[in-house]
Amino acid sequence: MTVAPATSATTSLRSRVLGRSRDQAKQERAVLVLHDVTKEYPNGKVALRDVDLVIPEGDFVFLVGASGAGKSTLIKLLIRDEIATKGAVVLDGQDVARLGRRQVPKMRRKIGIIFQDFKLLPNKNVWENVAFALEVTGTPRRKIRPAVDRVLALVGLSAQAEQRPSQLSGGEQQRTAIARALVHDPRLIIADEPTGNLDPLISWEILQLLLRINELGVTVMMATHNAEVVTALRKRVVALEEGRIIRDEVGGAYHRED
Amino acid sequence: MSRAWQGFWRNAVMSLAATATMVLMLLLLAGFWIIQTGLLAGLQFTEQKVNVVAYLQTNATDSQVQTLESQLQAMPEVASVTYVSRDQALAQFRQSTEAQGREDLTRYLDSNPLFASLEVKLSDPSHVRVVSDTLRADPSIRNVINIEDLVNNVLTVTGILRTVGTVLLIIVGVIALFIIINTIRLAVLARAEEIEVMRLVGASDAFIRWPFVFEGAMVGLLGATATLAILAGVAEPLSQFMAGFFRVLPLQFGSLTRDLVVLVMGTGVGLGIVGSWLSVRTYLIR
Repeated sequence: MTVAPATSATTSLRSRVLGRSRDQAKQERAVLVLHDVTKEYPNGKVALRDVDLVIPEGDFVFLVGASGAGKSTLIKLLIRDEIATKGAVVLDGQDVARLGRRQVPKMRRKIGIIFQDFKLLPNKNVWENVAFALEVTGTPRRKIRPAVDRVLALVGLSAQAEQRPSQLSGGEQQRTAIARALVHDPRLIIADEPTGNLDPLISWEILQLLLRINELGVTVMMATHNAEVVTALRKRVVALEEGRIIRDEVGGAYHRED
Repeated sequence: MSRAWQGFWRNAVMSLAATATMVLMLLLLAGFWIIQTGLLAGLQFTEQKVNVVAYLQTNATDSQVQTLESQLQAMPEVASVTYVSRDQALAQFRQSTEAQGREDLTRYLDSNPLFASLEVKLSDPSHVRVVSDTLRADPSIRNVINIEDLVNNVLTVTGILRTVGTVLLIIVGVIALFIIINTIRLAVLARAEEIEVMRLVGASDAFIRWPFVFEGAMVGLLGATATLAILAGVAEPLSQFMAGFFRVLPLQFGSLTRDLVVLVMGTGVGLGIVGSWLSVRTYLIR
């Protein structure tokens, strides 16, 4: 069930010539739309070139590609750490480049982000690390407690709530990070190499957790090098090479199969 | 507020290092301030010692002298005029010879050889020429002691000392400023990851910034208080030393203390706030 291998050029051509209205409808339900996005860094390096990407609500997408293919840049554009040189990044109907400084934090609250190196605060215990994501949004204390307890139960860390990150295994640290990414009910979870530092068994555990979260209705985008996982799960795969999308297929493998 | 306290205690080592640096720099600054104040007082005192002495003609009448006195007092360059009569001059001379333990030779004289004089204190010693010229022009004046060259030399020296003192104080101030801001910057740098995480979970700039700013103010306040405590501890022996050293100086310890508290508190808290504001800003603007 391979969708037409859509290079960016054919996608925009198709939307222009054929299915404009259908694509339009799809984009309205989309969590994330990238339209003709190019990112050139001040040093002249072009990290992304004419990228078109639509991620509908509830999707699970693997973002694959060699180091330097543009995965990190793509993620930085989504969280508005960088701004696209050309084109539009639309998250939940909002063009992120048009946001004022004060709106950026609010936009980020629609995203939950998970990193290879977890990025937990070492001075806070598991519970506090997760609660932190709600504290920054000014959520009242009485609402924080049940929400944190709920996500910790979901990721299976209720028993470790009082421990510091340094006392946890890698898998437990990553599950803490997932709980933190999830606690404020984001529209999109971005996982940047979440299994990069974990052994295969633990990696599968983390994958299972992300899949379960996806089943609960949260859109997940996961950048990864883990070919085994990508090929086994047969989810949508978006492959980047030298800043272009070279492949976008549903049910794809890590490598090209034809 | 509670997050700022937390930040302070959980990073106790960095906070204490920053506070200690703050204390040392403020002590340095306060020390130079005290020295500068003493120096300025000393210079002012030296300059105030400049007075123009004009000897009167023996035949000058009282009314002539009084006219001249009021004429001088009307001049803006003149601080005060003192009339010393011939008898007073002799008494002063005798007193000073006796104080020096020398024989009083005046008792061999049958008449008073000294002249009455006007001692004119100047409001500003650089105006010595105007005053001297006015005195010389008056017919009741016998002669005016020429101290213009001496005064000019004194003024050159005091001017240099003033400039050097001010420049040193500014240099020390700038050094203290940079070291304090840099130390706070390091303390913030140690928590760059925390700031990054806060940004990623969608904390507003104000939410990130304000505990750091408050912490900076706390470091400043603590540093300033410690500095003032140390200064208060050494104030007694120091003021005794100063009083012994500058015995004659009209140092006003009241206003010096007040200025020091303002200086130390203002610099400490101000730099704490500004330093952390600037340091956090580098992470917020992207």
